[in-house]
Amino acid sequence: MKNFNIILGLVLLGLTSLSVQSAEIRDYHKDVIGNDCKTCHDNGIKQFPSDESCLQCHDVDDLAKQTARSEEDKWQNPHNNLHYGKEVPCQECHGEHTPKEPLCSNCHTFKFDKHKG
Amino acid sequence: MSNIDLLGRRKFIAGLGIAAGAAMVAPAMAVSEKADGVKWDKEVEIVIIGSGFAGLAAAIEATRKGAKDIHMFEKMSYFGGNSAINGGLFAAPGTPMQKTEGVKDSVDRMVNDQLASGRGVADEGLLRHVASHAVEALQMTLDAGSEFHPYLQQLGGHSVARTYQTTVSCGAGITQPLFKECKRIGVNTHNRSKFEGFLVGAKGEVVGVKMRTNYHFGEDQPGKVLNIRAKRGVIMATGGFAQNVDLRMAQDPTLTADVGCTNAPGATGEGMYEMFRLGAIPTHLAYIQSGPWASPDEGGFGYVSNYSIFNLPHSMAVSRTTGKRFMNEIADRKTRADAELENRDEKGNPVPPLLITSFKDSKAHPNTEKVIKYNVGWKFDSVEELATHFGVPLAGLKAQIAEYNGYVKTGEDKQFGKNMTKAAGKYIEAPFTVVRLWPKVHYCQGGVKVNTKAEVADSFTGKSIPGLYAAGEVCGGIHGVSRLGSCSIPECMVMGMTAARSLMKV
Repeated sequence: MKNFNIILGLVLLGLTSLSVQSAEIRDYHKDVIGNDCKTCHDNGIKQFPSDESCLQCHDVDDLAKQTARSEEDKWQNPHNNLHYGKEVPCQECHGEHTPKEPLCSNCHTFKFDKHKG
Repeated sequence: MSNIDLLGRRKFIAGLGIAAGAAMVAPAMAVSEKADGVKWDKEVEIVIIGSGFAGLAAAIEATRKGAKDIHMFEKMSYFGGNSAINGGLFAAPGTPMQKTEGVKDSVDRMVNDQLASGRGVADEGLLRHVASHAVEALQMTLDAGSEFHPYLQQLGGHSVARTYQTTVSCGAGITQPLFKECKRIGVNTHNRSKFEGFLVGAKGEVVGVKMRTNYHFGEDQPGKVLNIRAKRGVIMATGGFAQNVDLRMAQDPTLTADVGCTNAPGATGEGMYEMFRLGAIPTHLAYIQSGPWASPDEGGFGYVSNYSIFNLPHSMAVSRTTGKRFMNEIADRKTRADAELENRDEKGNPVPPLLITSFKDSKAHPNTEKVIKYNVGWKFDSVEELATHFGVPLAGLKAQIAEYNGYVKTGEDKQFGKNMTKAAGKYIEAPFTVVRLWPKVHYCQGGVKVNTKAEVADSFTGKSIPGLYAAGEVCGGIHGVSRLGSCSIPECMVMGMTAARSLMKV
């Protein structure tokens, strides 16, 4: 039991530091994340957030506009791309606790300077 | 947690093994079970596993034949499988564009080209079935809104020009319209859903599947396994295993993690192996094809692959150490991949050969600008500049260009017997566009044995496994030793449609 409490303590400590980290990656998330993991973790704390979770606040059409590229490179828009249109779930390229690479980098050398993982 | 070695991930994970193992709930491996006494979480009409060409075509065709409740499951977070990142090249005999361009072609001719490439072990019956229905499949893409370049291409190993390509030069030009069509007609689509095994009835028939929901590829989390009953049957459209280094090395030890791969990350083969466990016949697993048109300067299929496929007929491939040609640039894939792999230094290290094209001819392909812009290809104003950049012996290269241009003029390649039809008038002249070539693991010819009804044969009874259908790259034996380029999309789509037709007859 004692061991269990130590483990539980470590886990909780881990969760707290994780949420701090996630707010640091995107400081505009500070207000909504706070200490309430459930804001994003709508499937429960032990599960990844659902694909709809980020869409509570973000609109994919707006995101597509923000990341639009010139006509020649229009299909390199990560939020409206050649291969999957607007249907790539956010967590494919973005992680709040662990930075991620853009999906495109599997095959292409495109630069996404504002990509925050 | 998948137990699959994805490009050497295992070694990395091994270091974390004990700590990570204690912290996560390890899901059971994919294993089929008797359905007897199983509590069904869901009952549906048709289960389709995989969302590439085969799965999408099956869903649309089943709907056309009257199915009302189709559920398509995809392991990854996004739909389209490997099909969404392939070259978008579609071969068919007797198409409208062939009539316009005056190309004489037939089912027999296409099958004969494929049999030659298959080196004696291809399945003629299946090839004939696919070629006979390829135009129907092409029509399905057009009906859904796919757009194609207004010209035909003649790919390596094909005796005539019979290949359409989407205007975006990518399979997404087909998967995106087909996926939208699936949504429009009410196909239920589920992403992040990993196949975990079949549920089998008293007579060995497939009656359902175990499906892990909320699955995150490459990540560790429990998710939840649902037992899903499939009233009409299950269509396996799970693709190849080119991304599974353990599986491909078990077949061909030279295909280590050092060899690149053009496939989407999800091409890991679990669906195929689960069918083997059920009794399906493993066919031609060792025939794994590498694309001879890929570049070592980018990941995956990238931009160069399509650039090269378009340009090879009117380009010259040379060794960097000699400046001489070393292959017929439009021989079939295996011939070319083997020839490229011989380009090495004294220590055996790869020295990727060069594909040299006149810029004026290369730029007809939309990827040319991108290839240069993203530093995976180069433009040179003179042969001296080209030779200096890559350290190619200038005299050798100049002599080879002069010799090759003679073949362009006469229409006869005395070095390698290349069909010079598409090279007519296209001399190798400055300015040049150059890319480097190195094969990447591209396609698994092997898989489960199926018949022309897309039924999966059982190893021991020789009969079809009831309730189970397979289509696309997960099936084996069709192409034999080497698949011709642009023959996968018609196969995937025709066999997907075939599976749907078979299942709707039951």
